[in-house]
Amino acid sequence: MSMSEQQTLKHQVTLLELVDRVLNRGVVVSGDITLSVADVDLVYVGLRVLLSSVATLEEPRERISATGAAP
Amino acid sequence: MTTPAATAPLRRNDLGWYLYGVAAADETSVPLGARLAAGAAQKVELVAEGSLVGVASRVSLQEFDEPTLPERLRDATWLEEKIRAHEQVLERVLEDASVVPCRFCTVYRSEVELRRFLSERRETLQAALDRVRGKVEVGVKAFIDSDRFTAGRAKQNDDIRQLETQISTAEGGRAYMERRRLEQLVASELERFRGEAADRIHTHLLAAAEDGLALPLQTPELSGRDEKMVFNGAYLVTADRGAFEDALASLARDIRDDGVDLELTGPWPAYNFVPVELSAE
Repeated sequence: MSMSEQQTLKHQVTLLELVDRVLNRGVVVSGDITLSVADVDLVYVGLRVLLSSVATLEEPRERISATGAAP
Repeated sequence: MTTPAATAPLRRNDLGWYLYGVAAADETSVPLGARLAAGAAQKVELVAEGSLVGVASRVSLQEFDEPTLPERLRDATWLEEKIRAHEQVLERVLEDASVVPCRFCTVYRSEVELRRFLSERRETLQAALDRVRGKVEVGVKAFIDSDRFTAGRAKQNDDIRQLETQISTAEGGRAYMERRRLEQLVASELERFRGEAADRIHTHLLAAAEDGLALPLQTPELSGRDEKMVFNGAYLVTADRGAFEDALASLARDIRDDGVDLELTGPWPAYNFVPVELSAE
């Protein structure tokens, strides 16, 4: 794989990516305590401020290298 | 859910079980259990119930219960810590075993309740596990750089090339008019291309994946990039990712001259490929 391809295939994760999956997806099971839709909305509101302020500052955490190997 | 425990007043030391996800007993080895128990800030335990294993931590019900949870959810620091912990535990399981990830903040008041869930929903959970066995989720986003798109199109499109030549020799008002025509031409080309690109990317990647879906596009504010997002997708791929990485590399080569860059995230637990709600059995 060439250098330019390595630059093109960036592997990164931001808090937003996590929020979209951890809060928005995954199995909703019948726990005794679970987040309601209203709770999730509340979390988005709280995190939106945080995310928009750090989005441009945060160094993306490398998850898998450009060659596809695990870290 | 109305149980005696749910209505009884909480004592300071009451502990519940935070469920991160569910794995198969035949994939979760003793060494995995030991690693999970040792490494995390929060001790992680494997609660085995028949063929299934709940990946869980004992947590303070004071911290997670209804009266205090809404307040906690407004605390961005607390949230980020818990969200990252949720993901980190699942990623460590994913290194050894397939896992059905649970939604954030799924908490049981007792081990009995957790075990009851695992045994009552055994068939649905097993079916969900079978679907993601040996597979991981990969996220793919595509962004278009309009300057590079224009440069690439100028090489292929006679009208654009001709206009650029005219602009370089024209003067004053005429040059302005020609430039406006060029901008409009490029803008309509870009619009047409963006419509096609999403389908093209998804079709290409889906052929190398077990399953895939298109997710909502993100605004620059959320994606953290100035370029326009043209595609956002998630794919269920074999854990070695070989065929999928090949497909990504060839796609990246094909669309680079169109000004499109791909951004990859993962491997993730298969959040997008498990049932949103477990049907009753």
